[in-house]
Amino acid sequence: MMNKSSLIYRSRRFMGGFGVNLFLLIVTAACIFPLLWMFGSSLKTQTTVFSDMSVIPKELHWENYYHAWTEGNFGTYFLNSVIYTISVVIGIVLVSSLAAYAFSRLQFPGRNFFFYMFLAAMMIPLPGAFVPLYVLMEKIGLRNTPHGYVLCLINVGLSLSIFLLKTFFDKMPKDLEDAARIDGCSKLGIWWNVALPLARPALAVIVIFNSLNVWNEYILALILFDEAKYMPLQVGLSTFHGEFVTQYHLLMSGITITIIPIILVYIFMQKHIVKGLTAGAVVG
Amino acid sequence: MRNLYYILIVSIIVGMWGCSQGPTTKADVIIWHWMTDRKPAFNDLAKKYKEETGVSVEFKLFAPSEIYSQKVRAATQAGTLPDIFGVLGEKKDFAIFVKAGHILNLSDEMQANNGEWKDRFFSKALIVNEFKRGNEYNAPPGIYGVPIDVMNIQMLYNKDLFKKAGLDPENPPDDFEEFIAAGIKLKEVGIQGLVSGWAEVWMIDCLASNFAFNLMGERKIMSTYKGEVPYTDPDWIRVFSLFKEMADKDILARGIVSMNNKDAEQNFANQRAAFAFNGSWCVNVYKGMNPDLNYDVMFVPKVDRGNQMLIWGGAGSSFMVNARSENKEKAVEFLKWLTGGPQQAYLAEATNNLPANRESLSQISPILSKFAQSMEYTTHPNIWPVHEKSQVIETFDLGIQSIILGTKTPQQVAQEVRQVKEREMDKERQRTLSRN
Repeated sequence: MMNKSSLIYRSRRFMGGFGVNLFLLIVTAACIFPLLWMFGSSLKTQTTVFSDMSVIPKELHWENYYHAWTEGNFGTYFLNSVIYTISVVIGIVLVSSLAAYAFSRLQFPGRNFFFYMFLAAMMIPLPGAFVPLYVLMEKIGLRNTPHGYVLCLINVGLSLSIFLLKTFFDKMPKDLEDAARIDGCSKLGIWWNVALPLARPALAVIVIFNSLNVWNEYILALILFDEAKYMPLQVGLSTFHGEFVTQYHLLMSGITITIIPIILVYIFMQKHIVKGLTAGAVVG
Repeated sequence: MRNLYYILIVSIIVGMWGCSQGPTTKADVIIWHWMTDRKPAFNDLAKKYKEETGVSVEFKLFAPSEIYSQKVRAATQAGTLPDIFGVLGEKKDFAIFVKAGHILNLSDEMQANNGEWKDRFFSKALIVNEFKRGNEYNAPPGIYGVPIDVMNIQMLYNKDLFKKAGLDPENPPDDFEEFIAAGIKLKEVGIQGLVSGWAEVWMIDCLASNFAFNLMGERKIMSTYKGEVPYTDPDWIRVFSLFKEMADKDILARGIVSMNNKDAEQNFANQRAAFAFNGSWCVNVYKGMNPDLNYDVMFVPKVDRGNQMLIWGGAGSSFMVNARSENKEKAVEFLKWLTGGPQQAYLAEATNNLPANRESLSQISPILSKFAQSMEYTTHPNIWPVHEKSQVIETFDLGIQSIILGTKTPQQVAQEVRQVKEREMDKERQRTLSRN
């Protein structure tokens, strides 16, 4: 037979667990509902978006996805976005890991000054730099070219990535590098064979954050590009968002298409995120 | 090191993709615009123009409009403006472009052949694009923009809901008393009266300005802006009181002061309110939301028989020609063609906007035609000779919101606006003194 204190303990534990689970269920519902609404609206017509308040409509208009894809010219934009995201993320990972390793391990004049300059760059909002960036890119002949756009985006992502990786490399044991040096590794070899593999959690965070940023970017693209053929996927969505009239059913179909790749990236790399954000504690 | 080779290979592929995009064939006339919903119609017209004249025109869309404006400013700095573009924002922004010599003066073209081009347009549509001699911005006088459509803001009413309340759907209220009476009748059968996006305070400002023009006329309004008439004047208190009367009689839709215009449009389209205060763009919006909506346009109810009521309106969207463009003659010719009767009728039909060319009114839908008939009674802050200070406008609009919510009386709001006005006038006087 259960005594009184054990009963109180169990009921408290149950209530505590119930409370936490209820809270988490509410948070989950609040997070998932907008996505469900978006998906439901993507299957409605322009008229029923405003009149049918059910989350999943009775009549499903799957053809909205076809119309969104063709009218929004998603074929071209999708490929562009995939290429921009891959190339920018590769660029950021390469440059930021090299720079962070140098800031962390190499002694050179102005090391701290340059590092703080990078940190200061994080404080400048991108919209504030549009006009000078446009003029600069025009002057060096890189405006309205994919290369120019990729370089700008690499530059945008560098500050935070360097900061994250430098913090990580600072806490990496020097013994590992000494061992590699004894085995005949050059500085570049240590960076590639020792530092980078150990920095995998931090790199995962950098990949996810920057993939999200580049995938969702469209403002700089609109400023720099004159040609529609270079535009990224998010610009395709603006086709359905007029000054006064928005085609909600197509816009929601388009958004559903655009978020699929980024959700996949997140799912594949989510286990590294917490690890990466608490990176310093686990290194070595 | 194998991974490094993969990265290099990907980089080379990306590089090749960038180079393989190929050179761009440049059209004779390039136009930058922000009007997403007009994109297909513009492209059709460009195709037609090419067939008729052999001149290729390319419309390039950059939306939303805030980004478009930034792009235009950046292009101005870099000297890469297209042949035709639009300047968004207030008239003072437009004046900056004109003074810097970026925009071609079209006065001579407009006046040629006894003003053939100029006379096509609603006069109010051109005023926004014109700088008169001695204008407050010191811009060289002339006509610098070509309106491609016009707009105005009026009242709309739901004919089916009118019938339900026993009101005559062919005789909407003409004056404020009739409007209140209709609102009460609608309320009796459970129908909300007026809906509008009054969380966007400029819409409150717009209706208040309509009432003010009707009650006291332009001269007294401008005298108020100059600081010669206080906001505690009985006519201004009457303007505030009209909103109190609507709120007291409960003929405003629930939550009107926290409602943005998109929600207000949705409420009217779904027959949840009988009246709407909205712009002519709503024809397209309601068509998308509820194609069966049975509604009509009515002029804003008059509150006084003394002065002509003026409603806000004018050029909807305008195009400007780049004064430094090598193709400016071709650009001007294209704009002449674009504002011709058939092209304007086509644009109106395809986009449900009011045409800027008044000769094409007979070819547009009855509802748009009704909107257009009031174009001669339009005005707009952009064309007023004096402008109120933004802090005063803000206090004025927020004050009306407070009146509707019942937290302030018209007299209190009038007093507050007067105080802010006096404070701003003092600041201006001090600035002038310190400059001298």
